Amino acid sequence: MITEALYQNYLTLLLDGNRRECARIVQQLLGRDIEIKTLYADLFQKSLYEVGRLWEFNRISVAKEHLVTAITEGLLNLVYPRLFERAVSDSGNDRKVVISCAANEFHQVGGKMVADIFELNGWDSQFLGANTPVDQMLSHIQEEKPDLVGLSVSVYFNMPALKAGLAAIRGNFQHLDIFVGGQAFNWGGTEITKQYSGTAYVPSLDRLTPLIAA
Amino acid sequence: MKETREQAAYSYVTRQSQDLLFVLSGDGRILEANESARSLTGCRENDTAFSDLVVDFTGTFNIADMVKAPGGPHLLNIKTAAGLPQSYDFYFEQIQNRTLGFGRLDAREMAHMQKQLLSLNQELNNLTRRLHKQNAELARLNQEKNQFLGMAAHDLRKPIGLILTYSEFLLDEAARDLDTEHQNFLSTIHNRSLFMKNLVDDFLDVSAIEARRFDLDLQPADMPKVLSQSLEINRLQAQKKGVMLEVDMGACPGPAVIDAAKIEQAVTNLVCNAIDYSREGDTVRVRLFCRQDHLIFSVEDNGPGMSRQDMEKLFTPFGRTRTKKTAGEKSTGLGLLITHKIITAHNGTLHVESAPDRGTTITVKLPVIKQFETPTE
Repeated sequence: MITEALYQNYLTLLLDGNRRECARIVQQLLGRDIEIKTLYADLFQKSLYEVGRLWEFNRISVAKEHLVTAITEGLLNLVYPRLFERAVSDSGNDRKVVISCAANEFHQVGGKMVADIFELNGWDSQFLGANTPVDQMLSHIQEEKPDLVGLSVSVYFNMPALKAGLAAIRGNFQHLDIFVGGQAFNWGGTEITKQYSGTAYVPSLDRLTPLIAA
Repeated sequence: MKETREQAAYSYVTRQSQDLLFVLSGDGRILEANESARSLTGCRENDTAFSDLVVDFTGTFNIADMVKAPGGPHLLNIKTAAGLPQSYDFYFEQIQNRTLGFGRLDAREMAHMQKQLLSLNQELNNLTRRLHKQNAELARLNQEKNQFLGMAAHDLRKPIGLILTYSEFLLDEAARDLDTEHQNFLSTIHNRSLFMKNLVDDFLDVSAIEARRFDLDLQPADMPKVLSQSLEINRLQAQKKGVMLEVDMGACPGPAVIDAAKIEQAVTNLVCNAIDYSREGDTVRVRLFCRQDHLIFSVEDNGPGMSRQDMEKLFTPFGRTRTKKTAGEKSTGLGLLITHKIITAHNGTLHVESAPDRGTTITVKLPVIKQFETPTE
């Protein structure tokens, strides 16, 4: 449903900061009853990864990268009525996941999309947002007792903060399954999962399926 | 070499720098502006006064004072071509009979603001996500509640019907064997059962509306006849209360394609409501006429009327709560909601005119005339 031409058009509009036209494309796709996972993976994730790459290679400014992210987050809001309607009407599986961004990580849209995919598959997904302090994350886990925790990191320089988060979770909840992901791993760092037992690396939205089904 | 460096610096400042540069005449006109200043403000050299670019709420801006004042920067809000004013730190230098004005953005402040805006936007988006999630959950709970309400109402209908029928039998056949007190007991049982039956019927209707199972059985029907049948029940009610029911029915060119039973229910509800809010001796006026493509039906009373605030809640469940019915009549509070649904399901509209102490007129407009001529089967 998302052709290369449509994607390129969307990406151009996104980089131009043309929020309305981007919204029109998304509304049209929703009107054609596109699968939400496809919309997330083939339009939102793909374009954000490309924009992130352009920023990392100094092709666009940080302000533009922030603008693109803010537009994409706004577009997610267009999907939510349908996403949650479906998520709630399908019988839930009584499983809970907490998704959080590493401390100092201000990019949250990737983590939020992951939370949405879980929600769509019957999980109760709780998204804690960007730059979540470790103590706040721990107390939320303590309170909600999730089956799974996901940590997102978009900027490679925030890897130490991710590590600190993992250490804190493992130190307090020895048997809790954890997964990590985000664009930061494009620069390496997947070996981090070997340092903490029960921790998996998920490279993309498509690869969430085994975790969701587990 | 020195000249080349100066030229390079001058070229950078005039063409590429994001800072603003203005060269001003003695009377404050802009003689020259760098590319950044021109594109930001839309100013024209030799034409625009610098003071015209400054947002000056107090009317005290004076360029000469700023030039004389030692140090700097001077915080000035500059009007931009994009519409939003932008704050710049300005430094002024007097060179011979010209004034140079340099404006620069506070990068730290901008970075701080950017971070705050991003955080606020993220928080707002996260709250929106939670709101959507909770809305979906509430919609599900509401659906469950409606299912439960529908089941309960359905199960109650039969026993209430039996109580109503048997109390009617007893009133008809055994009342003469009872003393007055026991007859009153029986009447109360009968009246309360009737109220409960109406309540249960309304609940079933609302439950169907909420579950979006409100189907119409559209058939050609004679609208004046439907109206007359509806008014049978209302005539008795009006008579008991001493309210005059004035009916004015114009001619209609043929049958209307409607769900007659539901339209009858809507008419009865509206007229019943008008009588409920009328005092003894008042008149309720009912009119039916055809105009162009529409069938128009109105009910007018001289009751206590409603404020605008009450009117807004009129077609919501239990919406009409402020004004009291004149004889303390009981109602389910769902009648007007059901009426509204019946009319809108027929692609019709309801218009309410009312004011406190000036009565109420509800006008129903049904687009049914076009269908008169073609009862095609």
